[in-house]
Amino acid sequence: MDKNMKILIVDDFSTMRRIIKNLLRDLGFTNTEEADDGTTALPMLQSGKYDLLITDWNMPGMQGIDLLKAVRADDKLATLPVLMVTAEQKREQIIEAAQAGVNGYIVKPFTAQTLKEKMDKIFERVGA
Amino acid sequence: MSEAIEKRIVDEENVARVRDLLQCMERGDEEGAREIVDELANVRETTLYQEVGKLTRELHDAISAFGMDDRIANLAEHDIPDARERLNYVIAKTDEAANRTLTAIEESLPLCEKLESESGDLHARWQQFRRKELNIDDFRELSRSLEAFLAEQHQNAGQVRAHLTDALMAQDFQDLTGQIIKRVITLVEEVEANLVNLIKVAGLPEREQDGPKEHDLDGPVIPGKETASTVSGQDEVDDLLSSLGF
Repeated sequence: MDKNMKILIVDDFSTMRRIIKNLLRDLGFTNTEEADDGTTALPMLQSGKYDLLITDWNMPGMQGIDLLKAVRADDKLATLPVLMVTAEQKREQIIEAAQAGVNGYIVKPFTAQTLKEKMDKIFERVGA
Repeated sequence: MSEAIEKRIVDEENVARVRDLLQCMERGDEEGAREIVDELANVRETTLYQEVGKLTRELHDAISAFGMDDRIANLAEHDIPDARERLNYVIAKTDEAANRTLTAIEESLPLCEKLESESGDLHARWQQFRRKELNIDDFRELSRSLEAFLAEQHQNAGQVRAHLTDALMAQDFQDLTGQIIKRVITLVEEVEANLVNLIKVAGLPEREQDGPKEHDLDGPVIPGKETASTVSGQDEVDDLLSSLGF
C-alpha cells in the first residue's frame, strides 16, 4: 500500500475526522484531507486526485450513501475505493451500501485494528 | 337505584303502554291511542335529554380537570424548551471535551515519536560503544548526543505530563452531562405520565400499538435495543457482506 496515497475523510463531526486522521497517521498515512459532508466532498474529489474516500453515512446536506452513488456515477471517480465508517447498523442499509458499490463498511465505534484490516482488504482487491 | 333496574322499570312501563295502545286501537278509541303515543314520545325525549345532560356534565368536569392541571401547559412552555437547551449544552460540553482531549493527544504524539526514534538511535550507538566499535571521536559525539537527548527528554516528559493532565481534566464533563441527562429523563417520564392522563381524559379508545416509526436512518444502536433488522457489531457486518460476495 502506498503510504503517500491521498485520502479524503468525510464526517460532519470534527472529532470523528480527527480520530480517523490520527489513526491513519499512526498507520503511516499522512496525506489526508477533510470535508464535513457530501456537498463539500464531491467537488474536492472531482478536482483533486484522491486514492481513497472514507465517509460517514448520516450527515446534513449530502449523505454518505448519496456521495457514494455520485462517485460511482462519475466517470472519472467510478473506480475510487470508498470505505464507509458509520453508526448505521441496519441490514438493509448495509446491503444498500454494498449494492451502491461500497468497498468496505465499518460500524462505529471501531478500533484502529478494524480500520487497518479493511484498508488492507480494499487495496489487496484493488491491487489484484 | 341501579341503571339496570331503572331500565327494566322503564321497559315494563313501555310494554304496558304499548298494550294499552293496542287495546285502544281495537276499541277504536283514537283519542286514547294518540295520548299513549304522545306519552311514548315524551319518554323517549326525556331519556335523550338525560343522556345529553350527563354527557355535558362529564365534558364540563373533564375540561375543568384539564384546566386545573396547568402543569401540562408549564411543561410545554417552560420545561421542554429548557430541556432542549440543556441537551444542547451536553452536546457542546462533550464536543469541547473530545476536542480538548484530541488536542492533548495530538501534541503528545510527536513528542513520543521523537523519544522512540532518538532513544532507538542512541541505544544502537551505545551498543556499538559496548562492543568497543567506537573510536574516541565517535564516543565524544555519542556523549554529546546523550547529554542533549537527556536534557530534551526531561523537558518533553514535562510537556507530555501536562498534556495528560489536560486530557484527564477534560473528562470532568461526564459528571455535569450525566446530571443534566438524568434530569431530562425525569422530565420525559413526567411528560409521558401526563400524556397518558390526557389520553384517558380525552377518552380516546385504546388501539393496537403501532410499531416504532420507520426512520430513514436509525443512528447508533443502543446495547440491548438491537432488533432483527440491525446487526450488532463489526463481525456481523463482515458476515453479511461476505454473504453478499464481499
